Amino acid sequence: MFKRRSSFKIQNYILETVLVALIIIFAFSAPGFFTLRNVLNVLRNVSMQGIIAFAMTLVIISGEIDLSVGSAVAFAGCLTAFLTDKLANGALAMNLEAAIFISIAAAIIVGFGIGTFTGFFRTKFKVPTFITTLALMTALSGAANLLTNGFPITPFPEWYNFFGGGYVLGIPFPAIIFLVSFGIIYFLSNFTTFGRSVYAIGGNEEAARLSGIKVKKVKILVMGLVGALAALSGILISSQIMSGTPTTAKGWELDIISAVIIGGVSLQGGAGRIWSTFIGVVFLGIIINGMTLLNVSEYWQYVVKGLLILAAVLLNQLQDMKKRKA
Amino acid sequence: MSNYKLEAKKLTKEYPGTIALDDFSTGFTGGRVHTVIGKNGSGKSTLMKLFSGAIAPTKGEVYVDGEPVVLHSPLDAFKKGIAMVYQELSLIPDMTVAENIFLNRYPDGDTSESGSKRKKEGNAKKLPFIRWKNVYKEAADLLESMNIELDVYEKVSRMSVGKQQIIEIAKAMSFNPSVLILDEPTSALARHETQALFSLIKRLKQKGVAILYITHRLQELSIIGDTVTVIRDGKLIGTREIKDVSSRQIVDMMFGNVEQKNRPTDLKVSDEVVLQVDKLSSKGLFQDVSFSLKRGEVLGIAGMLGAGRSELLRSIFGADPFDSGEIYMSGKKILYPEPGKMRDLGLAMTPENRKSEGLVQSMSIRQNMCMASMDRIAAKGPLTKGFISQEMEKAFTKEQIQRLEIKLASEEDLISSLSGGNQQKVVIGNWLNTKPQIVFFDEPSRGIDVNAKQQIFQIMWDLSRDNLSCVFVSTELEELLEVCHRILIMKQGKIVEEVYPENIGLEELYARCMEE
Repeated sequence: MFKRRSSFKIQNYILETVLVALIIIFAFSAPGFFTLRNVLNVLRNVSMQGIIAFAMTLVIISGEIDLSVGSAVAFAGCLTAFLTDKLANGALAMNLEAAIFISIAAAIIVGFGIGTFTGFFRTKFKVPTFITTLALMTALSGAANLLTNGFPITPFPEWYNFFGGGYVLGIPFPAIIFLVSFGIIYFLSNFTTFGRSVYAIGGNEEAARLSGIKVKKVKILVMGLVGALAALSGILISSQIMSGTPTTAKGWELDIISAVIIGGVSLQGGAGRIWSTFIGVVFLGIIINGMTLLNVSEYWQYVVKGLLILAAVLLNQLQDMKKRKA
Repeated sequence: MSNYKLEAKKLTKEYPGTIALDDFSTGFTGGRVHTVIGKNGSGKSTLMKLFSGAIAPTKGEVYVDGEPVVLHSPLDAFKKGIAMVYQELSLIPDMTVAENIFLNRYPDGDTSESGSKRKKEGNAKKLPFIRWKNVYKEAADLLESMNIELDVYEKVSRMSVGKQQIIEIAKAMSFNPSVLILDEPTSALARHETQALFSLIKRLKQKGVAILYITHRLQELSIIGDTVTVIRDGKLIGTREIKDVSSRQIVDMMFGNVEQKNRPTDLKVSDEVVLQVDKLSSKGLFQDVSFSLKRGEVLGIAGMLGAGRSELLRSIFGADPFDSGEIYMSGKKILYPEPGKMRDLGLAMTPENRKSEGLVQSMSIRQNMCMASMDRIAAKGPLTKGFISQEMEKAFTKEQIQRLEIKLASEEDLISSLSGGNQQKVVIGNWLNTKPQIVFFDEPSRGIDVNAKQQIFQIMWDLSRDNLSCVFVSTELEELLEVCHRILIMKQGKIVEEVYPENIGLEELYARCMEE
């Protein structure tokens, strides 16, 4: 009896356990892994994708997907740079600070708008988000290149680097945004009617609708949220590299979805926790960092990442089958 | 040797706790249509599943053409000469008629006798190549032999349900069976489609096939049947020639002597009309439906499957659109109903299918219990709006668990850990938490045990005592007679009659629901 209970508990925290084991292994084997500098480095590296991963978790729980986030990041960075350039150096000759803040706000609003557009297509015309966002992935990448003529635009002053490269009390600024967005979305998913609706819709859309939940509104908002956070991430990247570059964030959508899946969120919708995505994001970040420190070739890193996704899904599936039997 | 095409000898099927079919023996001759009738749960479908190889008998044997057969699977039954057409169609919509008929046993180039025998038996081809010309030719020949005029090149998805049904039968006949079993084939058909189906059945009869026709539609018996076999409580009540028996006698055989129960006498109906429906119509589902519901009343809607009862409730609740007509709640006209709006106006609906429409299986009992009342358990301040209060949620859940006597280990467990009856109570609790004035119960007693059923009736009566109104839809007519103040009879999308349980018996009500 006692044995069954304790093994049941470990099953619930299997990913956390593996993560701790991994940290211990790297701490002993990888030179410089367990230093403050490296820990902060990992945090910064995972932040940009992590911010989006939390919103992606809600999208996947609601039974949808967003493949356009990578392109949306590039597009938002380019849009910010493009607008800043036009406002400050164009006919308006606006002061640079004002131009930057207006551009940032505009990029986030546009990101939100693109997301809600996807949600609208989904709920009004029943176009699967897989298709709409696949189309957007291509279109937004093209749009980013159009805005910049295919080359980086660099209208930013020195201080702009703070958002992507700065520190507050020794912590990288993007990492703070990462933690704050974790907190907000964690709270949203667990303690609000909005979050509860997302789970209900993903679990059984018809039952949710018949309970009077506004399915369309919730879906549109969820897609809007991931769009807005992708834009935020794009702004942070543009600050880190001090330019709007159309080739940034290529393939991020897969990294982000991978992190969510490794965390154990089911692609069938209805189930998953924001905390698991946090672990999934950190897990991926640490494994890449550790292997880099150990001088493992980049190609091997891809192979390991792929196997990791498979193992995570297999684990989930096995647990699911066990639960269903019980 | 008997001349029966299909014969059951002492067939018995036991499940833990119940005997679904009890020592059942009878035979069916070729060239006739044998109708089989019985109310829900009488053992009809168990018998059909035994004949079609879907389940194995506990005792007893099945004989085909005088030979004992052991059926391991539906495919096995097909090979041994029993072809079954199920109520749910199983065609592949994006394939053509011919592709569907010969699915997985397409004619190849092999036209030898052993080749065609192999195909008839449903075995794989010798070579993995399909001769499409032969597929379409054989399909066309088959349809022609049955006098069916259909284009074998047409995609099934573009055909009406009636034509699809005919293709299913053609597919079954392509196995050259001795016995063809049709399970409620007309349940989804329009009237002219039913005519076409009947004339097809009559043609097949002349080929010497024994046809078993399962139905719950009394009026079909004399049109299509030669004999009628009645099952009740898993037992054979009797087989009669249709021409020798009246429909009243058949109803008598179906029900036997039932003791009619009555509702408690303290339930009062006030004169105040809380819901009025005026000439509501939805094309193909229901027409010109008008009725009113009074405060404290339990109103039943009786009718067979497909009569449009659930569709009517769903339209009033705003779950599905309707074409014309008006809905008034407490005298106020409701424009554009939708579930959230109707809920806020005090209407609740526990849907017909609790698994697919009533509950979210991936959520806990507590979360399911507060799904419709989510706004009520959330804070309402301008800044805190939408934040769920855990205490209120727990209180809401606890109240319903006690009120509805739901048996559970922990309210944090997944809803799927509960029995059917307790799940149904959670659906009801979810809606009672919205503090409704009117509750629609759509088949609330389906698939739950006798005790849970009685508890659900109690809940309806308690609601009536609290001056709430209920609409109760059920296929089980005895339930309606036991529970309701008044019963509307719905037939083919129309309300045809209003009856009071005091003035009508079960057999009479059944007959009125069935007869044309």
